[in-house]
Amino acid sequence: MNIITNIMDGIVFVDRGGNVALMNPVAEDLLGAKFFVAIGKPVVALQGRKELLQAVAADHARMDRQREVTQTVEVHHDAQDIMFIKCTTSRVLDWRGQLAGVLTALRDVTAEHKTDQLRNQYLSIVAHELRTPLTGIKTFATMMAKGSLGPLSDRQQRVCDAIREQSVRLEHQIDKLINLGNLEACEYGQDRESFPVAEFAAGLLAPFEQPARDRKIALTFDVEGDDLWLQADRADLRRACQTLVENAVKFTRDGGHIAVAIELSGAGLRFRVTDDGVGVDPRYHRRIFEKFFQVEDPLTRHHGGAGLGLFVAKGIVEAHGSRIEVSSQLGQGADFSFALPVHKQGVPVIAGAKNPSQGAQP
Amino acid sequence: MTRTVLIIEDEKLIVVSTQMVLEAGGFRVESAVNGEEGIAKARSVAPDLILLDIMMPGIDGWETLTRLKRDPATAGIPVVIFTAREHARGHQRSAEMGAVDYFRKPFEPDELIALVEKHVGQRA
Repeated sequence: MNIITNIMDGIVFVDRGGNVALMNPVAEDLLGAKFFVAIGKPVVALQGRKELLQAVAADHARMDRQREVTQTVEVHHDAQDIMFIKCTTSRVLDWRGQLAGVLTALRDVTAEHKTDQLRNQYLSIVAHELRTPLTGIKTFATMMAKGSLGPLSDRQQRVCDAIREQSVRLEHQIDKLINLGNLEACEYGQDRESFPVAEFAAGLLAPFEQPARDRKIALTFDVEGDDLWLQADRADLRRACQTLVENAVKFTRDGGHIAVAIELSGAGLRFRVTDDGVGVDPRYHRRIFEKFFQVEDPLTRHHGGAGLGLFVAKGIVEAHGSRIEVSSQLGQGADFSFALPVHKQGVPVIAGAKNPSQGAQP
Repeated sequence: MTRTVLIIEDEKLIVVSTQMVLEAGGFRVESAVNGEEGIAKARSVAPDLILLDIMMPGIDGWETLTRLKRDPATAGIPVVIFTAREHARGHQRSAEMGAVDYFRKPFEPDELIALVEKHVGQRA
């Protein structure tokens, strides 16, 4: 019996020399190794659940460079049963600040994992069921609005345009629903492909044109480098850009101005959204990217949203190796931007390369 | 010469609306409501491009794609995945399996025409 015996997570402590010094019963169960056998040995030398022991040993080896590492390990219990174990390994310092050892906490997250999987699967099916009829509505309305089915009277034209706009809006809402489901997965930027900037820019602002018109907001869009190509997860990148624009629309007063731009910048392209809206107090510039954070201001509180937009956008932009820059003062508008590398058609982009010859210079 | 697009899609509404868009863009359209029928049509019609849905009763789009690519008679026809559902790494997966593109529903009619123009007749 010791201080870690009754902790709900599995706990393994190895000393400075890398040998097991403490282990509780939960850790014994998860690792499949007994403490009295393990004591004084390095984790890598233990017999038990191989995948998990190897993962923990690998995390220990990384401790000379990192303070803390977390990973989720898939453990094949038997033929059908898969467990997911979250391992968090961190350094333990003594009272002088010297390394005393390394502590690993093991938590069975199988239930959470399965819930996530089910939820994502469910949302994906719901989205499919909603998008399918919407595809018909949107396509017919677009064809009719374009006059492909014959000439329309002014009133018919207005109605068709409205059906089209509302179907675009609904499409946007369904995308948001899916994004909510993928939130915890944090697997942004996975589906990379190469595509032209011009193709990306086309239709990017479509969901905002009508709301901006309704509120007499001047919404402009300038695109440079439209002959260049991006290598990115197109749907995610679109989501990140649209979040910035959506926020600008949300926090700009009626009659205000929003300038969206894709600009050449050094070796890449900078996506920039500038507005003359309510602005963000500099002391919140970090916190606005936190999950569910909303600046509590009487002027903004009545705006909808879950406080997830920038959190998701940040995750996406970071997954692409960049970060979102904010420049804003309260009451003086805001400027959000981020840069991404570009390449010319057919020239592959090298991840993380800073070589300007790859970039946007003509 | 009229170019033919084969739509393999179980949802009638989408077949009809997509057909309308493609015909307005100057294409001839054939359709099939499931994978098996789609493969048979691909062999008999030899279309210049195939638009392939994923979620279908019977064999799904991925399996249909695999079979189309395995058969020398249809392997050269460019296939565009045409889906309303999120697929993990969908672009990568469809590219690895030999599709030339991956297109999301709902779509903009102009984008569909541009996409079909880009790939049509580009036999491998």
